[in-house]
Amino acid sequence: MISGSERMKTAIGDPFEEYMESLPAGDRAVLADFFLDFDSRCILAKAEKRKLRGDFEKAVLYYVNSGLSLDRALELLDPVNLGGFYARPAALWFPLDDAAKIYPLSMKPGSMSVFRLSVYLREPVAPELLQMALDFTIRRFPSFATTLKKGFFWHYLDTAKRRFQVSEEADIPCRPLKVSKSGSPAFRVLYWNRRISVEFFHVLTDGSGGMLFLKALTGEYLRLKGLGPEEPHLWDLGENPDREEFENAFARIEQSPSSSGFMDRAALQMDGRLSRNRPCRVLHFKMEASQLRQAAKSHAATVTVYLLALMFIAGKAATDELEGEQSIQVPVNMRKFYPSKTVRNFSLYCGVRLPVDMITYIDSMTEEISRQLESKGSKEAMNRMLTGTERLVNSLRFVPLAVKQPVARLIYGFLGDKIFTNTLSNLGAVQLPDWMAREIEAMDFVLGTAISNRAGCSLVTVKDTAMLSIAKLTADPSFEEKLYELLSRDGVEVKVEGSELYEG
Amino acid sequence: MKVEITYPKLGRRRRVKGKLIKAAGWTLLLAAFVCPVVNLAVGGKAWSLIALLGLYMLWTLVLSPDLVEYNRISQFIKLLLSSCLMLALIELLIVPGWAAVVVPIVGFGGLIVCAALFFSDMERQRQNMLPMLSLIFLSALGSAAGLLWLKPEIRWPLAVMGLLSLALLIACAAALGRGFLIEFQKRFHIK
Repeated sequence: MISGSERMKTAIGDPFEEYMESLPAGDRAVLADFFLDFDSRCILAKAEKRKLRGDFEKAVLYYVNSGLSLDRALELLDPVNLGGFYARPAALWFPLDDAAKIYPLSMKPGSMSVFRLSVYLREPVAPELLQMALDFTIRRFPSFATTLKKGFFWHYLDTAKRRFQVSEEADIPCRPLKVSKSGSPAFRVLYWNRRISVEFFHVLTDGSGGMLFLKALTGEYLRLKGLGPEEPHLWDLGENPDREEFENAFARIEQSPSSSGFMDRAALQMDGRLSRNRPCRVLHFKMEASQLRQAAKSHAATVTVYLLALMFIAGKAATDELEGEQSIQVPVNMRKFYPSKTVRNFSLYCGVRLPVDMITYIDSMTEEISRQLESKGSKEAMNRMLTGTERLVNSLRFVPLAVKQPVARLIYGFLGDKIFTNTLSNLGAVQLPDWMAREIEAMDFVLGTAISNRAGCSLVTVKDTAMLSIAKLTADPSFEEKLYELLSRDGVEVKVEGSELYEG
Repeated sequence: MKVEITYPKLGRRRRVKGKLIKAAGWTLLLAAFVCPVVNLAVGGKAWSLIALLGLYMLWTLVLSPDLVEYNRISQFIKLLLSSCLMLALIELLIVPGWAAVVVPIVGFGGLIVCAALFFSDMERQRQNMLPMLSLIFLSALGSAAGLLWLKPEIRWPLAVMGLLSLALLIACAAALGRGFLIEFQKRFHIK
């Protein structure tokens, strides 16, 4: 029995209790049933369960304060959306895919391969609903609901049954994730004004897999906002995950008779003092996709080739070196060669390389860039690289992690990203259903910065908005200023958004 | 080029912790250089090896913690193993004749603490089983080797350590059931 004064204290301290107190008996009974249903679907540890229940309470209050009826609020928040995820003990575990194996081996304090995907909505984000959206979405991505663990020979991902938290953005983008504690996730969901961002440690997924997650999360958020369809959308969150969605898709590919290595000559680096903050600035060039395509067409090039040409010229403007070669890393999505539903890593990369002398005018470079992209990014070339990767992984599989780790860190630290000057990762045009497209203004994609490359560029297009993001590792603005100048000269209107310079 | 700021303002970032760790790292490195030099200069027993191990312990346990699997069991075992190594070094280099008894006592004490850490929060700690399995394996191996070579009158702590490690292994297997085999599968996979 709760005494009158105790009840008063609870009511004053807890807005939800206060709300409950204010309800007529019938509504109170409905809410009690609702939470009974919740209880039957959640076997998390006490503290986690309390937090998850708190999410529901906050969301109910959000709805009620927005003028929605309690019935409608409970309908939207139906605990059936939790599925069995929180009701069953952890059972799954995932060996790392071939591309992911290097990331935990090479990470160091303050340095981790993290990338970020964001979506810009038309209205400010409601954190209460975003949290619920995450609570409902995560069950559909079991390979994300994991924590990184050490095996005797390799790292692996072990299921972590817990409540995953969204938080307000308050730090540098793509900062390393703390994956060391028991159950700590390898991704984070952030919000800021109208933006929802997800930052992933690369062990989990690549840009394409991450985009699927962001789309599913945003779709669920919009449904909770009452802006999405009631019936299943995008990924049916109620469906059981398909085995193919978290397979190591590399393993399905037949090995090529020959293999290619990862070594190459050191490439020229842009100048500018390396910042201690990684990245020290994030910039987004917001452009009309049609204008960008038109500009590329005027140089008889695709958007990727055109942007690569601009990046070579801008890179040249950002260094005083007069000799050497610039090389730009271009990730290649293997799904275009081998259709796969996997949400894990399934991309490799190639490098487009030009001597400084050759970097002059856009038109003089596009043909060579196209040729290199076509040959180095071809299915055969990727198969050779994959074969090289597979052979390396196989040769190391019986070497204990305790031996592999320091050696890998040493080699990675020595080679690092020296063979590249920059990166351009183009996620392409994101397809959205109409109801989602109406609510989404733009998207961006930010690459976690490398070791010595002063910039990393990435592009994503949604509707008619192309967002070129630049993650900087130096305060020197030469690169982005030249890029801006070149785009403007070609008639592309660029609106520049981004972060302040994180220095000091 | 005008930039519209669309990220939260952070102001000047404080990096006190990073700076302290960096300063401590350089101090340790200096100490690691000075100790052997002083030891060589003044001669005598090789105490500098013990100092070096102490510096290493300080670095790995306090200043540069693990990036993956930083949990109470793994940290305790790291401390335990390096302490045993430290004791063995002290015996070898400074005061001989006691470690064969003391190290196994520390070892079986450690096994008991480990078991308490594991069974007090099994649901979460089952994910942290590899360090404990390594300790069990090392204890069993050390115990078997010691029982073969050491004098009978100082064998008892080794026997206790060996029995405790076996008991802990059986208790884990019994408590986790099929989960124990699955944990093994995860920890020793080669895929």
